[in-house]
Amino acid sequence: MNAKERVMAVINHQKPDRMPCFGANSTVTYDQMEKVAAFWPEGHDKGEVMAKQAMAAYSVLGFDAVRVPFCQTFEAVALGCTRKPGRVRELEGVPGIEHPPPYKLDDTPVFPEDFLSRGFIPELLKAVSIVKKELGDEVAIVAGIIGPFTIAGSLLDSVPLLKATFKSPEKIRPFLDVGEKAGTALAKALIDAGADIISCEDMTASPELIAPKTYRDFELEYQKKQFDAISVPKILHICGNVDAIVEWMGQTGAEVLSLEPKASATLARGKCGPDVVLMGGVDTATTLFMKDAATVKQGCEESIADGIQILAPGCAVAPGTPTENLLAMVEVAKAH
Amino acid sequence: MKVLKDFSNIFKRYDLDLEKTGKAKEISKDPALQKVAQLVVDGDEEGILAAVKDALKSKSPLEVINNALIAGMNEVSRLWDEGIYFLPQVILSSDAMNVGIAECEAKMGKAMDRKAKVVTHTAEGDIHDIGQVIVNALLNANGFDVINLGADVPVDKVVSACKEHRPVMVTGTALMTTTMTAFPKIAHQLKQAGLGIPFICGGGAVCEEYVTEYDLGIWGKEASQAPGMAEDALAGESWEAMRAKWNG
Repeated sequence: MNAKERVMAVINHQKPDRMPCFGANSTVTYDQMEKVAAFWPEGHDKGEVMAKQAMAAYSVLGFDAVRVPFCQTFEAVALGCTRKPGRVRELEGVPGIEHPPPYKLDDTPVFPEDFLSRGFIPELLKAVSIVKKELGDEVAIVAGIIGPFTIAGSLLDSVPLLKATFKSPEKIRPFLDVGEKAGTALAKALIDAGADIISCEDMTASPELIAPKTYRDFELEYQKKQFDAISVPKILHICGNVDAIVEWMGQTGAEVLSLEPKASATLARGKCGPDVVLMGGVDTATTLFMKDAATVKQGCEESIADGIQILAPGCAVAPGTPTENLLAMVEVAKAH
Repeated sequence: MKVLKDFSNIFKRYDLDLEKTGKAKEISKDPALQKVAQLVVDGDEEGILAAVKDALKSKSPLEVINNALIAGMNEVSRLWDEGIYFLPQVILSSDAMNVGIAECEAKMGKAMDRKAKVVTHTAEGDIHDIGQVIVNALLNANGFDVINLGADVPVDKVVSACKEHRPVMVTGTALMTTTMTAFPKIAHQLKQAGLGIPFICGGGAVCEEYVTEYDLGIWGKEASQAPGMAEDALAGESWEAMRAKWNG
């Protein structure tokens, strides 16, 4: 089996030759950038550079899928937020969103007709088509979108959004609606460009930020609608300990749930049933970035024992992460 | 046929057992103070002003601050620690408390006496930019003067705020691996400027081993530790002594 066949086998509930290993979130590191001679900040806004950096996950690490993009700003910028530009290595710059945000809670957010040609989206689509052309038959292409709640957080700023979840929750619906439309439109364009899998990151929907009932009563509906409209397999990644909402994450229609090790894969299996595919692995900060290869291997084995079926970094890989720690993950996957 | 006498479970949603339920304790025997405290617990920043004005008719501003506003916030802190309250509720309560404190300070004609200054910030580039909200609320509720630099703060700004305000302690929050690398840089620049201020670092991505690698760094495991740490710093404990006490 090649890498792509291996990934698709697991998602389609067929037996792979071994466990696949790849990221639901960004896997780019400075080491990989050096090896493929493609650097930040260009990797955040130039399609050719972005493609080169993404492909390093396959050519340098031996991961079974490659993943774009490497920050969470594409939809938000196309919806009117200002991007704080990425910077070079010494300044540790992943792009973010500038303050103040474009909207206040009483405003009506607009979904622009020309959404897909705004901001940096054309470059992201270009990156996917380059990867498709170069590696499309060998390796799975994972393309990222951002969840409705997290996009709403970019449009309103997190604190006003969080306050509204208790004070005037109905007012957040138009923002979730626009966030859903944006992610869905981007997902469809990414699939047209060659993406095999859509990975939805929804950081702000974590129980560490909002009450579980807010996820159940608001975000779940939009996430279902979005995933229903996406034709390829979906990965849903929500940061932190998601035990309190994992049952509802399993109802979204995502074929794969990506979990941090703080969340219990055993619990997720019990709550979501046998059909959902679980992906995860060691903590990207405390283990993958900080510790050595032996500790990474041990942590990966523990995740697999907990029920993980696709080995992955628990969240976005810190760009300073040593290559040998990422290679250690692949080694563990090869043994399963 | 079995006749059901107790219908209470029929309408109970099976999924609600995932969310803990709990109630706030009574905070004051005095009805006016209890009302103010309850509005802090409820996070009602619109309703609290009238209740504070009402309480100030019979109580001194300091009584209202200490026995209702701060006492209410301490109850919110308990509900948070026990997993009953979530972050949005803590933010709303903190805002309500601040509305009340501002009204009491207006009545006193001066700001309430604060124990000492603490500078707080969230690391530059962090999109989970609200980790420090609870730290601010608890420090505030425990009588510290919080110099809140907010979220997404560059290294230079933290250092210059420390030079300007001379706080007893500085805190940094980072929830992403990509942003916590600012902390050693801040610590280094503070030391170079001759400011040996205990620098409490915490948040999702941050672990003890990382923080204790650089001078001044003390790992903050929980937001609820912040007031205790600030008391130690105020008592003149060095960063080394604080690290020995709170970490390892």
